[in-house]
Amino acid sequence: MDIKFSRIEVDSRKYLAFMTAAGLVAALAPASAICLFLEGHKVTNMTNQVPWGMPIVMAIYLIGASAGSLVLSAMSSVFGRVEYKPFARMAATLAAILIVAALASIILDWGRPDRLMIPFFHFQPRSVFSLNAILYSSYMLLCLVYLWAMFNGKKHLERLLGLTAVFLAVLVHSGTGAIFGFVYVRELYGSPLLPPSFIAAALSSGTAMMILVLYFTFRLSGRHLDPRLLTSLGKLMGVFIIVVLYFLFVENVTRAYAPANYEESSFLLLHGGKYTALFWIGLVGMGMVIPMIVGLNHTLSRNIGLLLGASVLQLAGVLIERFIIVIPAQVFPVELFHDQEVTSVFLDGQFADYSVSLIEWTYSIGMMGAVVFLFALVIRLWPMVPTEARHLEPEEEVAAEKTEQAAEAAH
Amino acid sequence: MTIDRREFIIIGAAVAAGTALSAVTPALSHTVAEGQSPLETPPSAASANNQWGMVIDIAKCTADCTACTDACRKENNVPLFGDPKRDIHWIRKLTIRQKGVENATERYLPAMCFHCEHPPCAHVCPVAATFRRKDGIVLVDKHRCIGCRYCMVACPYKARSFVSQHVEAGPDANPNAPIRMHGVVEKCEFCVHRIDAGREPACVEACRSQGNGAMTFGNFGDPDSEISRIVASGEAEQLRADLGTNPRVFYTHL
Repeated sequence: MDIKFSRIEVDSRKYLAFMTAAGLVAALAPASAICLFLEGHKVTNMTNQVPWGMPIVMAIYLIGASAGSLVLSAMSSVFGRVEYKPFARMAATLAAILIVAALASIILDWGRPDRLMIPFFHFQPRSVFSLNAILYSSYMLLCLVYLWAMFNGKKHLERLLGLTAVFLAVLVHSGTGAIFGFVYVRELYGSPLLPPSFIAAALSSGTAMMILVLYFTFRLSGRHLDPRLLTSLGKLMGVFIIVVLYFLFVENVTRAYAPANYEESSFLLLHGGKYTALFWIGLVGMGMVIPMIVGLNHTLSRNIGLLLGASVLQLAGVLIERFIIVIPAQVFPVELFHDQEVTSVFLDGQFADYSVSLIEWTYSIGMMGAVVFLFALVIRLWPMVPTEARHLEPEEEVAAEKTEQAAEAAH
Repeated sequence: MTIDRREFIIIGAAVAAGTALSAVTPALSHTVAEGQSPLETPPSAASANNQWGMVIDIAKCTADCTACTDACRKENNVPLFGDPKRDIHWIRKLTIRQKGVENATERYLPAMCFHCEHPPCAHVCPVAATFRRKDGIVLVDKHRCIGCRYCMVACPYKARSFVSQHVEAGPDANPNAPIRMHGVVEKCEFCVHRIDAGREPACVEACRSQGNGAMTFGNFGDPDSEISRIVASGEAEQLRADLGTNPRVFYTHL
């Protein structure tokens, strides 16, 4: 299958208007970060009880979307899914942009972002954070080299880098899951299932994001996109969601089984107020089950409007999943004693109170705006988007692959 | 696959940058292993022969006494912002009551950083800003801490506070105490500046002089010290001993 890529050509006034809007939203991120740095974290709802708030939720969400994107990008070159080739470049670009935004989310939330270089000079091999600093930097670099190989038609190099990319994406996001999974002190964090369940959520949210990106990029640049390509991605999203739900089920049932964890489990699953509502309605119901049904059902997934809606729900669902992982474990009081009720002026033994503050919202929405802005800029500057994207039936796919291999052999 | 010179240079540069990043990082780093001290303290001050610790008899700790917490605030210039969620506490007094028992008696105990033998805070710190001195005191290098707050999430004893705003030292601040820095995490240091000068932590001294003498400070490195003897008798307990962190602060009559 011969795919031609070209820069998007759109009405320059419309493009300018779009970029101005996206740029203004993106500007919220640095503005919030500056405010955070100058005033300190007292301007947020992060406290000594809940030291990690929305910026960390955003960071791990963006890393997941990046890892999912990169794996999708490598599908055509590594797993031979020729039909996914049209968006290989776009997905790799998104992966690079998302990891930059994720790192910005983490670093600008530090109490001392001015000490940016310290993690590169003081290494602590026992800290997952420290290992991640190296993993994330090499991952970012790999995204760029991989893109370069794709652009220059280096087929073998692209395949090799694609394979490395899949491996590194899994490692990077497992490392992200391990940040929480290794915290054995808090029952709602410590779990060996977090790294693999992070990978599953990365794949499902990465696929949902690709459906939306493909649809809107082609639509807004006036190019033809075969709706069957979206339907096939919808099915993939449905399968990934099943894996996410499976991990979620196993993790929560295992935790709830131990009498020592009854309080933690019932807080999250039964009477945690907004957290319980978010878990069942936001995460399980709207974020996972509905998009899964739409993605896997042949009739429903052919309705592109429904599929787009399902993708939005899944993206929101995974954001809620990240929130549910990061926040309730801190809201639940640290257990200093197994058998004593505790109170103190330091709010020991009390459920913490956390809601996303205005500045944490502007910070997070700004980061998302920055991703949209950068992506729209890149596809305008470089030939990322194919002139058309066709869907291939299985037999066509085999034929296309053969043609490609023949062309490669001739080359 | 053929690679021309320009492409070769680009790939080469990328690979070199990646290698340099991962190779140079450990080379330039000062990885602090447990038991090593990056502090340039006189050998007499942080010697492995001294293993500082504490035993607190909670039978002697009473409801209305705040001698230890007051002394700590004064000694270490720990401010109160009037915001319970963000106030900094190096030591606080816990009120405990047996779970599931009606009208259970209230008991009281002070809790601070327990200077664990296996400190989770130091393990998770990405830049080794939290480290353990030779004499077992766990400290935070406030010039190195990046304020990521991973240690606060990992500490089983809630010993850590984040300085979430700018703080100016008052005119009557103790000049011997460490300088406070915004955007970093801090905690009890066992009054390391006093220990290095051959004195006991301020809380222990205040508990003896103004309180009820519930706190005993000493050296676990010396098997004949009072705290060693109490712990050897089997009457002292650690909080959350099940976690394996091996805190250096023990409680009796818990």
